[in-house]
Amino acid sequence: MAFTFSLPPELSAKEPPERRGIRRDQVRLLVIDRATGEIEHSRFDKIDNYLRANDLLVFNSSRTLPASLRGCDCSAAHGPCMEVRLAEHLPDDSWLALLLCEQGDPFGCGLRPEMQIQFAEGLNATVLQRDERIPRLWKLRFSISGTQLVDLIYRYGKPIRYEYVSAPWNLDYYQTVYATEPGSAEMPSAGRAFTWKLLLDLKRRGVDTAYIVLHTGLSSYMDDELDAQHPASEEEYFVSATTAEKINRARENGGRVIAVGTTVVRALESVVDQNGRVQGAHDYTQLKVDNQHRFKAVDGLLTGLHEPEASHLDLLSAFLPPDKIRAAYEEAIARKYLWHEFGDLNLIL
Amino acid sequence: MSKLAGKNILITGASQGLGREMALRFAKEGGGGLSIVARHADQLNKVRDEVRGVTPKIDIVAIEADVSSSRDIERIVATTLAQFKGRLDVLVNNASTIGPSPMPNLLDYPVEDFREVLDTNLIGPFVLIKNALPAMIERGGSIINVTSDAGQVGYPGWGAYGISKFGLEGMSQTWASELEETNVRVNWVDPGNMNTAMHRAAEPEEDATEWANPADVTDIFVFLASDESKDVTGKRFQAQGDWKAQIHHEEHEGDKI
Repeated sequence: MAFTFSLPPELSAKEPPERRGIRRDQVRLLVIDRATGEIEHSRFDKIDNYLRANDLLVFNSSRTLPASLRGCDCSAAHGPCMEVRLAEHLPDDSWLALLLCEQGDPFGCGLRPEMQIQFAEGLNATVLQRDERIPRLWKLRFSISGTQLVDLIYRYGKPIRYEYVSAPWNLDYYQTVYATEPGSAEMPSAGRAFTWKLLLDLKRRGVDTAYIVLHTGLSSYMDDELDAQHPASEEEYFVSATTAEKINRARENGGRVIAVGTTVVRALESVVDQNGRVQGAHDYTQLKVDNQHRFKAVDGLLTGLHEPEASHLDLLSAFLPPDKIRAAYEEAIARKYLWHEFGDLNLIL
Repeated sequence: MSKLAGKNILITGASQGLGREMALRFAKEGGGGLSIVARHADQLNKVRDEVRGVTPKIDIVAIEADVSSSRDIERIVATTLAQFKGRLDVLVNNASTIGPSPMPNLLDYPVEDFREVLDTNLIGPFVLIKNALPAMIERGGSIINVTSDAGQVGYPGWGAYGISKFGLEGMSQTWASELEETNVRVNWVDPGNMNTAMHRAAEPEEDATEWANPADVTDIFVFLASDESKDVTGKRFQAQGDWKAQIHHEEHEGDKI
């Protein structure tokens, strides 16, 4: 990707749309035509103007965890306290997590393997080792697992909050209306603007919907250098047979498959064969989608506005030439679109 | 064929009375997964063990939580959906509180207690339905709200409880009509007088032995949880009334009932 830009701080959405006087579906919508590069400025609740019968919207129905837990090192007397941000549940039932010290340097309070972290009564974790791929993450194992652990995470956790967000909003502000299975460290926010009314209206007009599950990891490791590299992670996804069938049918009927969020792009492009047929699967993907990628399953994308680091824009360059992305982003900045999870949206079709 | 084979069911207020009986009955009828919720873990875990005694293979999770708290409801739904891999078929809003006992007249009703009753009996079911719907709306599902005759008649002394049930019945109607074009159905059931700890506390002067055993009023709940009722939505039923005749009659009227 050939360009980057600087994002003025006032363009970070500080609060949910419902708390800045509009409905969740009244955020702005920047529409880019893939064929012509033409840009239109619209509002999200008018998205039906850009969709037609037989189109299929594919959502990520992962539910946001309150993935920020406060715990203290209990393996030493007066051990330091820290914020533990859950990043990923691993196949061996351990977790990757970002540990941020409460006092002083966020990484400087003696984080080490075998450290015991106490969160609350009945909830402890043992730090195993540093992650090799993303060295700011640690592997840890909780004292309990499965549904019981989910219950305690929801009992004690809070949503992860970045510095641009003005207040500790409740977890329900960090959920899409269609979220089901819990597991995402951060909200899969591209679909946040949908309301049930809009979904049902679209259905009535012949726009179908389907769901995948891909639990999102952390968008930042609180380390500028590492964040700039944007290391590609391996992610677990579930695509059901029903969803696969809907995608295949939509394409047969001349409909477009529109991914709601980059997680959906990644999952669907991982389960499509050479002939463009999608199969249901539960697997892990390391697929990198960039300007070398040729889409076989996905025709369009609804997404938020991406961060300035070039690597974040890579995925978009699979949809559009860099100069078109640059032109659209320059307009978005000039017209004061809002970035991040509570911000405005971008439809590329 | 078991009536509830493969169904994942969430029941609030499941540690005693009608909720406990529903949990046992749903397990007997082949329910695939049960998520039972109540405020007191000890009693609730006993019910979980009883259910396992009836159906050892059942996928059951017991969640200690208070439905008057939205934060607890988020946890109830997340934990339930983690257990059932995102699939829920039936939600029974059974938990309720009568408020202070003996029940004061409205004139003397403490505002704080009034709010608490509405939080548990009305706001709680609203938030639960809102949170659970995403797991039901694509594949269809059944929502059953437990009401009372005090939700239709303003009996003196039944203050906040009755008002909360009036609200619950109105809310059920609204949900049913808003969800008409989906496969999610919403019905509400008045179980009638039952010999339960809650009812005895509400009317300590009455002879509780004349009231039905909660185990004997569960047929309608099995019907509404099962696919037999797949076309039934927006209806009020009396568990101790002739609900079978009501369904038969309305089927023959030719309407979607």
